[in-house]
Amino acid sequence: MQTKLDVQDLNAWFYQKQALKNVNVKIPEKMVTAVIGPSGCGKSTFIRCINRMHELVPGAKVSGKVLLDGADIYGTMDPMDVRRKVGMVFQKPNPFPNMSVADNVVAGLKLLGTYKKQELSELSDANLKSVGLWEEVKDDLKKSGASLSGGQQQRLCIARALAMNPEVILMDEPSSALDPASTAKIEELVKKLKNETTVIIITHNVQQAARISDMTAFFYLGELIEFDQTANIFESPKNQLTERYITGRFG
Amino acid sequence: MKARKSHFFKLQDSLFKYFLIACSLIVVGLFVAIFLMLFETSLPSIYQNGWSFLTGLVWDPNNNIFGALPAIAGTLISAAVATLVAIPLSIGIAIFFTEYAPARSKLVLSLFIDLLAAIPSVIYGIWGLWIIAPLIKTNVEQPIIGAIGFIPLFSGPAYGLSIFLAIVILTIMVIPIITAITIELLSKTPVPLKEGMISLGATKSETIRHLGLPFARLGIVAAVILGLGRALGETMAVTMVIGNSYYWPFSGYSIFAPATTITSKIAGAVGEAGGLEFSALLEMALILMVISLAVNFISRSLIKRTSKRGFG
Repeated sequence: MQTKLDVQDLNAWFYQKQALKNVNVKIPEKMVTAVIGPSGCGKSTFIRCINRMHELVPGAKVSGKVLLDGADIYGTMDPMDVRRKVGMVFQKPNPFPNMSVADNVVAGLKLLGTYKKQELSELSDANLKSVGLWEEVKDDLKKSGASLSGGQQQRLCIARALAMNPEVILMDEPSSALDPASTAKIEELVKKLKNETTVIIITHNVQQAARISDMTAFFYLGELIEFDQTANIFESPKNQLTERYITGRFG
Repeated sequence: MKARKSHFFKLQDSLFKYFLIACSLIVVGLFVAIFLMLFETSLPSIYQNGWSFLTGLVWDPNNNIFGALPAIAGTLISAAVATLVAIPLSIGIAIFFTEYAPARSKLVLSLFIDLLAAIPSVIYGIWGLWIIAPLIKTNVEQPIIGAIGFIPLFSGPAYGLSIFLAIVILTIMVIPIITAITIELLSKTPVPLKEGMISLGATKSETIRHLGLPFARLGIVAAVILGLGRALGETMAVTMVIGNSYYWPFSGYSIFAPATTITSKIAGAVGEAGGLEFSALLEMALILMVISLAVNFISRSLIKRTSKRGFG
């Protein structure tokens, strides 16, 4: 099991409030890692530290190391480069309404300015296919990205992140705003994604974590309580807190 | 529970309603009255001068010849150029304010932008007349005339008081208007979309270019037109710095020459005017009112469209 992300002594603050306390974890490559825990436990802060989005919030501070293939993303790497390598999908679908469906997919690639029109349109088609959206939108590629349904919008956002060919994809409760049918499609997609990339997915739904993830990390009050293979976490959790959380006794 | 004294409240309510109706009628009535007054007083000039009022270049009260074209041209040119110059400056300030200015300096900066908008125009006029005019004459106009004075647009002599100075002052007066509205618009760029953009590796300036500005576009156009309206109607400051010479731009094209506008012509001449000249001045005012109304109307309909669609 190859380590993709090696998080060492990660601490994060909002002003005086500490949101993450000494997190140490090795996220394996090409697997789905679920991050679970009650609201306010630091799940979002944790994944936002991995693509350096946390520091954009006023009063935010980070210490510790996050090694991506051995290189510290808080070292000499440019934050913009980090975000190109570590893609993100948000809780609420956020396609750009001022861009067409096709332009949404390649929005990040366009910024690079190194692709020709033809290449962009091919990449757009290919990524729409890989998220299973192509058949549904192939006649509406010129329409605004906001004209799609919620579930389609979220898959469009996944395509947009995938188009960057990222090494890691972070997902912050990507299906919590969607109906069950759309959720099922997203889950299928996540399982498929691990063939190509490393996925870290926050979910509020422990069953979802059990269904789609290989590894599970349980956070509580800013601390990483337990990190293990998903089967172990759900069948024989070592920590009592973990057991109480996954059995629904608090959360 | 006691019953409400319903009759009393009903009476009070309807009285209040009539009071409000009366207030709104006053507004409508005033507008109509001003318009009718302008139109009626302009009638002698409209009959006498006909269409040549719009095309004539001469303003000669002694021989009752009135052409308003230089004033109309001065108004349109000074307001349009000032607004055009103000656009990039205002958007620049607004972008700096929303994206780059440290949180603590924002309060001070926004205070100054508001203050700049609140300065009475006569103060801009005095400042332009006493401080800026001599400065511009020796440090801008004379060097430029010396270097490229052979180009008609920049030919001499340098007066200080000129259409150029009027444009500079108008630009300064328009900037706070466009800036304040643009800041408002840019700060409303939806955060989830901004985060989406940043998560793709976009820099701050790319986020503004691909998201902030497209979203604010129509609103900025409306703000620009609002600024244009201010520049068109500005009287005091322009009258004090423009030099009030009637024939520009038909006497020569130099931007360093004194000129006039509708407002400064009216302000300067109305005190001593009688008879047909008075009527002609009011016809000029009528023209300005129509221009301003058109600008206002365009701006309103644009703002409506922006708020309906949510983005430009």
